[in-house]
Amino acid sequence: MIRALKIAGLAINGLRRSPLRVTLTTLGVTFATGALVTMIALALGVQRQVETPFRALSLLNNIQVKPKEPSSTTKPPPLNDEALARLEKLPGVAVAYPDAHVKGIRIRYRNKESTAIGLALPREASLLGVADELLVAGRLFEEGDQPEAILGVQLADSLGFSTPQDAIGAKITVEAAGLMPEGSSEFSFRRKLLTVTIVGIYRAPPLMPGSAQQGIFLPVELMKEIPGMYLEAAINQLKAGGNPTAAGYASVTVRVRDPAYLDEVEKEIRAMGYHTQAILSKLQDMRRFFLAIQLLLTVVGSIALAIAALGIVNTLLMAVLERYQEIGLCKAIGASDGDLFVLFLTEAGIIGFLGGLTGIALGWLMSCGMEAVASFYAHRQGIAGRLDLFAFPIWLMAVSIAFSVIVSVVAGIYPALRAARVDPIRALRSH
Amino acid sequence: MNLPALQTTSSFIETRGLSRQYRVGPAEIQALADVNLHVQQGQFVAVLGVSGSGKSTLLHLLGGLDTPNAGSVWVDNRDLATMSRHQRTIYRRTMVGFIFQSYYLVASLTAAENVALALTFQGVHGAERTRLAAESIDRVGLGRRASHRPNELSGGEQQRVAIARAIVHRPRLLLADEPTGNLDRTTASEVIGLIDEIHRELGTTVVMVSHDEEMATRVADRLLRLRDGRLEPEGGVA
Ligand SMILES: Nc1ncnc2c1ncn2[C@@H]1O[C@H](COP(=O)(O)OP(=O)(O)OP(=O)(O)O)[C@@H](O)[C@H]1O
Ligand SMILES: [Mg+2]
Repeated sequence: MIRALKIAGLAINGLRRSPLRVTLTTLGVTFATGALVTMIALALGVQRQVETPFRALSLLNNIQVKPKEPSSTTKPPPLNDEALARLEKLPGVAVAYPDAHVKGIRIRYRNKESTAIGLALPREASLLGVADELLVAGRLFEEGDQPEAILGVQLADSLGFSTPQDAIGAKITVEAAGLMPEGSSEFSFRRKLLTVTIVGIYRAPPLMPGSAQQGIFLPVELMKEIPGMYLEAAINQLKAGGNPTAAGYASVTVRVRDPAYLDEVEKEIRAMGYHTQAILSKLQDMRRFFLAIQLLLTVVGSIALAIAALGIVNTLLMAVLERYQEIGLCKAIGASDGDLFVLFLTEAGIIGFLGGLTGIALGWLMSCGMEAVASFYAHRQGIAGRLDLFAFPIWLMAVSIAFSVIVSVVAGIYPALRAARVDPIRALRSH
Repeated sequence: MNLPALQTTSSFIETRGLSRQYRVGPAEIQALADVNLHVQQGQFVAVLGVSGSGKSTLLHLLGGLDTPNAGSVWVDNRDLATMSRHQRTIYRRTMVGFIFQSYYLVASLTAAENVALALTFQGVHGAERTRLAAESIDRVGLGRRASHRPNELSGGEQQRVAIARAIVHRPRLLLADEPTGNLDRTTASEVIGLIDEIHRELGTTVVMVSHDEEMATRVADRLLRLRDGRLEPEGGVA
């Protein structure tokens, strides 16, 4: 072991002898590792951005439930309030509430007016698992029946609140107009006016669509009064010749207490005659996709590293030739073939380590630059805040250095074998 | 003459029918042919002969750098010819010190580091290594030049560094291949004197190839003459 360390000392001396060549070779490894690190950091960063809402809202506990398409022969059970109550009673279920996505809701505050997307959120905040960092001001809903709302930052901004904090406590007017199913095939135009108090302001993660910042969350029972809430399910029902007033909701979110319940609850809900989709399975599809991208990028980066490795082979082969006599001498004074093998392998490893280290630094710099450029353009498109497109987990750095060292050492095997095989007599005869 | 058992125990070096040939294309070159040699422990032996007579070949075989095609080389009662590659490395590491005509110092290392290099391969590390290297450099009278690099030293001084490197691990066998071949007479004489001193003080067995018979005669206990790879009958020291 000590012997190997001492030989590493000799390796450094060996490398110092042709500084320019070794530096250029190391730079090759630097650029290759840098490119590899940047690409993987980008893939990881984008994946993180996409997954953040899943985590922040702990969506992984959610199952999306939809009614089956009715047809002239089958009448699947509707997804109405009665069904909601039954879903909520299933063992392992924390809460079940209708999904809403009602566009064109007008919000007024003093002389300002803006258009928002209406979304529903149950009042049982403790059951929702919403991460605190999503709320930039205020709180979630409280139990009771007070009319409350939670707005996206951008919506608050367009209503003239200079900071999210300013908006808390303000009373706004919510106006929704739309068609409500009425009777067997009739819809009537309804207008609904509500006055609600802003209790919270949220900021959706940066990579979410711009409209995500433009939402207004209302407690479920208020949302149920909004015209348009039942439209989608009603139209579906009508198309199949059913009764639109009994259609219920187009989609419902069932939240389990723990992802462990997912499978069982999903099974139960299917038995009740509904479609289900767990977000977790969507996420897993996404993960597979990102894994494929990472693999692809790793292959591309590895090609760069392979080219850099050729540089190492070349540099070390030249070193073996230049130090031919010296290698012979070392053998004459007691170096074993193994010592020389280790010596040159160590030189390769040192190049790989330095290249890996500087490569990570370079990758980090490059990603900072790319982040700045991307942020600049995003800013011009009206997207505020940091994009955080790159992720540099510790394991990425460790793996990059290890990868760089391993590739370099592998590249060093052939030159090291050449050094180990030098015939001392021939070497010492060459003048 | 036919008492091998006795011979083995009494001779530090013994070769029997030692032969080494090289094949160059269809031709065969007999570098060394049937060499039978006995060297007592602590002897100083000079090897003389014209160029190509097989002197270096003999030295390489004695030092375990090369293996014979036929015959055996016994040093300290062990047959080098039957040793494995690694055993021969260990043998060189512990028993042998080599000195060459062209010094073979590593240009990027100081005198002291060149000497210490040998110890690295011999498994001596740390302070002990530094101490032994300094001691050995002092021994050859270059204590004040220890931190100089080879290109800052004269030929004679470089050869002294090489000698310091060869003796730093106290080998029992010192093999010198024309150690003065690149030096002027005065310097050569000094270097030979140094080798003789080491031989006397440490009791090291020395086999030295030389083309300077007069100089060899001055220090050696015995003169061996090679001609076409064969050992000529010894006439003793003239
Ligand atoms: N690798 C080799 N291949 C072919 N022939 C060789 C090889 N090495 C040595 N020889 C031959 O073996 C013979 C002995 O060589 P050796 O080097 O032992 O001579 P030497 O006495 O040391 O000569 P010099 O005084 O010139 O150093 C020479 O004829 C040489 O050409
Ligand atoms: Mg020779």
